Amino acid sequence: MIIKTQFYNHFTLLAGLLLLSGLSIILSIFVGSASLSIADVFDVLLGDATPLHQALIYDLRLPRAFVAFATGAMLSIAGVLMQALLRNPLADPYVLGVSGGASFAALLAMLFGLGTIAITGSAFLGALLSIFTVFLLAQGKGGWTISRLLLTGVVMAAGWGAMISFVLVITPPDQIYSMLFWLMGDLSFSRPLLPGLIILVIGLLLTLPLCRQLNVLIWGDAQASSLGINTQRLRITIFFLASLLTAGAVSLAGGVGFVGLVVPHFMRLLVGNDHRILVPASALAGAILLIVADMVARTAFAPQQIPVGVITAFIGVPMFLYLLRRST
Amino acid sequence: MSIQLNRLTLSIGNKKICDDLTVEFNPGEFWAILGINGVGKSTLLHRMIAVSTAMSDEIIIDDKSLFNYRQHRKLLATKVGLLLQEYEYNFPCSVLEATLIGRHPYLSQWQWESNEDIKIAEDALKQTDLLDLKDRQVNTLSGGEKRRLNLATLLTQDPLYYLLDEPTNHLDLKAQINTLNSLKKLINDNNKAGIMVIHDANLANRYCDNVLMLFGDGEWAAGSAASLINTANLERLYGCTIEKLSNEHHTIYIPG
Repeated sequence: MIIKTQFYNHFTLLAGLLLLSGLSIILSIFVGSASLSIADVFDVLLGDATPLHQALIYDLRLPRAFVAFATGAMLSIAGVLMQALLRNPLADPYVLGVSGGASFAALLAMLFGLGTIAITGSAFLGALLSIFTVFLLAQGKGGWTISRLLLTGVVMAAGWGAMISFVLVITPPDQIYSMLFWLMGDLSFSRPLLPGLIILVIGLLLTLPLCRQLNVLIWGDAQASSLGINTQRLRITIFFLASLLTAGAVSLAGGVGFVGLVVPHFMRLLVGNDHRILVPASALAGAILLIVADMVARTAFAPQQIPVGVITAFIGVPMFLYLLRRST
Repeated sequence: MSIQLNRLTLSIGNKKICDDLTVEFNPGEFWAILGINGVGKSTLLHRMIAVSTAMSDEIIIDDKSLFNYRQHRKLLATKVGLLLQEYEYNFPCSVLEATLIGRHPYLSQWQWESNEDIKIAEDALKQTDLLDLKDRQVNTLSGGEKRRLNLATLLTQDPLYYLLDEPTNHLDLKAQINTLNSLKKLINDNNKAGIMVIHDANLANRYCDNVLMLFGDGEWAAGSAASLINTANLERLYGCTIEKLSNEHHTIYIPG
């Protein structure tokens, strides 16, 4: 009875989020340095608009909204997965240096002039290496503490930061500007969209079947294995999925931070801790957050664009500090 | 139907927990595992469900070697449940939700908890005196309430063999007695087996039919509580002098 009504409530919520994400994509078509009227957009849809408007929507705003959608969704799912893996709601791919590892590896691939798929693959390996290192070091002998986990992640992020600086120094000057913008988390230098969308779909489809196991895993390894879960296999699966999703997001949009922290936190308050709801809800909410943040980034200082990573950091940093203070 | 340990030898590093341990835990029996801190009592409990470290035929659960449960972990979880010594509470979660994870082994991959499952969880909360708190967030519970919640989750798991690592931790005197009474009743009425690590030899004496003593260096003794709980064995077990006090109702052992 309780669960049934809850189920319908949650279903309504998911449907609402889906609707909102659709609306935000539509809204993002209108918003920008050159504003379009409803009549302009209808003309484009009917195919009798000016080539300029045509290009503005199909080549710029719509792909950009989809990039924001995919990036936000991937980062949020990666955040939920890492939080379950590390049993800590403060875990986030950006804070723990996983995005840093992916960024460094992706930059290297760009420096060598490799294509999108190679960049994404390279980012995946970089993310995987980071997540393994953070997990092994933070676990240590004495078990987990929040400070140990965060310190390990922060030091890893700093290390990757230094490596990234090194790559930037040896990069030919004509490439530096776009690399810097990309590093700050930017949607305007967008790479081809398709690999990112495929990773999002694969990541989501592989995460959903794990959700009830995640509900148990957050109670710890011993509890999860006493309830019949093969924790070793589950952990390795999460390593791969979180790395894959982070790499997908990083290769699409660079270093967009704190989405994986902010979004799951609010969704936990809204829908509770059942990952069967939390994962899809976070994916949609992350998509909405990033589409809206990108609209702000495009218009706040128009015609100058701000990297969307700056906007998410403005939201994420105070919230992270608040959560950290509350947790200790 | 039993858990059998067959010539089981366990060590942590180069310290032996038990050497050639052979003992059988049967439904209807309430066992206490006694020994000093760090002797390996918890490790022994954990190893009894650790499929990944199991060697063939050292640990037999319902006529099947623990090793063979590798591919049947959920089945194992419907037979053997473990109450851990400590739990973490890092995520917001209601008491009822926390209890419901005990149903995990019974549900297939895409299955949601049914009303039946909810009823089982609510019964467990009732038994542990937590039903009024079912919508509370777990991190707002007191230490003793959390301990009872852990037990409620195990009751929701509803195994045949209850491995209990210090179930009376954090509990006040009344809650200790209530908890052990209800475990005893569960074991007798529903024909379950209880295997409990406990530091209070007097509670073990009062509630358990059998005891397994771990003396360190791999030496052990297993048998009825009546035959094993005495001054000499307790002195050997805890390494201090023990005095026996009794009246017409109770016998207690205290450090001398």
